[in-house]
Amino acid sequence: MTTTSAAATGVAGGTERVIGYSRAINEALAEEMRRDERVWMMGQDIGRLGGVFGLTRGLLDEFGPLRVRDTAINETFIVGGAAGAALAGTIPVVELQFADFLFTAADEIFHKLAKWRYMHGGQFTMPVVVRLPSGVVGGAGAEHSQSLETIAMHVAGLKVAVPATPSDAKGLLKAAIRDPDPVLFFEHKGLYRVKGPVPESDEHVVPFGSARVARPGNDLTVVATGLMVDRAVAAAEQLAPHGIDVEVIDPRTLVPLDIDTIVASVERTHRLMVVHEASRTAGFGAEIATQVQERAFFALDAPVWRVCGTDTPLPQDPELEQACIPSTDEIVAAARALAAI
Amino acid sequence: MTNDPGPDREQVQREVYRKVVTIRFAELRIREHVEKEGFGGFWHPGIGQEGLQVGAVSAMQDDDYLYYAHRGLGYAFAKGMPLEPLFGDLLGRANGSTRGKGGGTVHFADASRHVLGQGGTLGSNFVMGAGTAAASQLLRDGRVTVVFFGDGASGRGTWHEAALQASVWKLPVVWICENNGWALSARFTEQSPTEHVADRAPAYGMPGVVVDGQDAMAVHDATAEAIDRARRGEGPTLIEAKTLRIRGHYEGDRQPYRDDPVLGDEIPNDPVHRLGESIPDDVRRGIDAEARSQVEQAFGAALAAPRADRSVIFEDVWA
Repeated sequence: MTTTSAAATGVAGGTERVIGYSRAINEALAEEMRRDERVWMMGQDIGRLGGVFGLTRGLLDEFGPLRVRDTAINETFIVGGAAGAALAGTIPVVELQFADFLFTAADEIFHKLAKWRYMHGGQFTMPVVVRLPSGVVGGAGAEHSQSLETIAMHVAGLKVAVPATPSDAKGLLKAAIRDPDPVLFFEHKGLYRVKGPVPESDEHVVPFGSARVARPGNDLTVVATGLMVDRAVAAAEQLAPHGIDVEVIDPRTLVPLDIDTIVASVERTHRLMVVHEASRTAGFGAEIATQVQERAFFALDAPVWRVCGTDTPLPQDPELEQACIPSTDEIVAAARALAAI
Repeated sequence: MTNDPGPDREQVQREVYRKVVTIRFAELRIREHVEKEGFGGFWHPGIGQEGLQVGAVSAMQDDDYLYYAHRGLGYAFAKGMPLEPLFGDLLGRANGSTRGKGGGTVHFADASRHVLGQGGTLGSNFVMGAGTAAASQLLRDGRVTVVFFGDGASGRGTWHEAALQASVWKLPVVWICENNGWALSARFTEQSPTEHVADRAPAYGMPGVVVDGQDAMAVHDATAEAIDRARRGEGPTLIEAKTLRIRGHYEGDRQPYRDDPVLGDEIPNDPVHRLGESIPDDVRRGIDAEARSQVEQAFGAALAAPRADRSVIFEDVWA
């Protein structure tokens, strides 16, 4: 355990440890299950194996087979069953092995989770968390690598979290489990091994709808999520010596979206670029660009740009795959060009 | 539950009759409204199927969970929901159980009576029902979940996923198929390789029971047995109640696809008559009169209620 200053980490006060993003998620699950015995989990290979990415390791031993349940390959049951279990007073936290599989449980996610409360006049709450290992991880292929968070944004009734750091992974997951509404929790597979400081507290809960300034700056605002946050910060560090001071904002949740923080930043920097791994067309970058021009058109000195994943399926080859998502170099080049307008 | 006639059973049958005949009057009142006044939604009549719905639900305890199907009001009324909010939902009134978001009978609910609602996609309640039962198993609350569906929905893949997991986990859930022979325009016999939906149950290691759906008390007894089994921790049962679709898929459906006799007003093996046979005439007439007046009063109250304000559009998206 190490203790770092609040100024160095951006976390106010208290003791911290440096742990991995995976460990942070595992701790959030364990702590919330200890806190509230209505919380339980199901999914494929989450029990005996501890999850294909090891996120649920040790939980079966601690909480037993009724609270950490291995299922068959049956995504409609995993999500639809969670919806039904939520109506009966429990808080299911379920895992789909890959975020892409949300399409195999699409009716359950976009209809049952998102609309049940609404359709039935507000008589029920739907406290379900669906954990979705997301994004490019290296050769997983077109149906195991997508970033689908924008699709989740488009259907009313779902909250959407996209944690980029171990601290946010833990704090947002704890918030998600305590939320009475359904949450799609997009964990980036490429971040599972990344380490970072996490507050030493059972009450480290990161509220939804509060963006984080990952790097302060004055010349250009870059909004990025997931794996792209670190790349955007790395790009900013490369640009700093060249007199381009980039502010990187990580919204942390897309629903609700903290547009106020983004607009306030743009009003200072007068330039905006959105970076996301998801395909370019109709991605959340388009939404953010639109909202910013609606609210702060006259603050903009240049068009809003997007640096995004290609409008293609993802090839399985790891090198080709990387060519389909924004690299640090691409972010640097685009930011330099945008700053020059 | 026993099949022996006795005072308790007579009381149960009389109560089933009362509810069935009430729903019959409700069916006729709704049809009259749809025909005379026009109607913005789709009313999927359940006339002729009231017996199996009420019979089955009457075997449930108050705190058991119900997922109903789309054909009629028998399920929810039998679970204790008053008629006025049901009619309110049908007519899109603010006094509906969905507070005006309804219109058509598809999405009524009553959390206090554990009427959990219905999805718009048929067969989605297979997996939800299994999940509700998993919650009961976790909480050890002793509750059983009953899920209704039609022969059409039996084609959904969600059935396979739910039935398999429910049986492996021995979840306290009972599935009740109302096989009325038609999934909109699709004949059951052309969409099933087996004679019965219940024939599929053994593959999931659960009992499959075929019962005469026009015999409300037979459905009651089969359901009671399945519920007891579920409550004992022995897992799910699939009950198939054989019935008939008397009217179209929705009221107003001209059924050009139908190659069996379109029944219209005739209800072969009418559950109302079967239940009423053993009730003395004067008692039965009293029940009928009270049921009719209850329906008229509730329908009138729903008609008189205001439509929902547009502000409800933005309510209940979030908790």
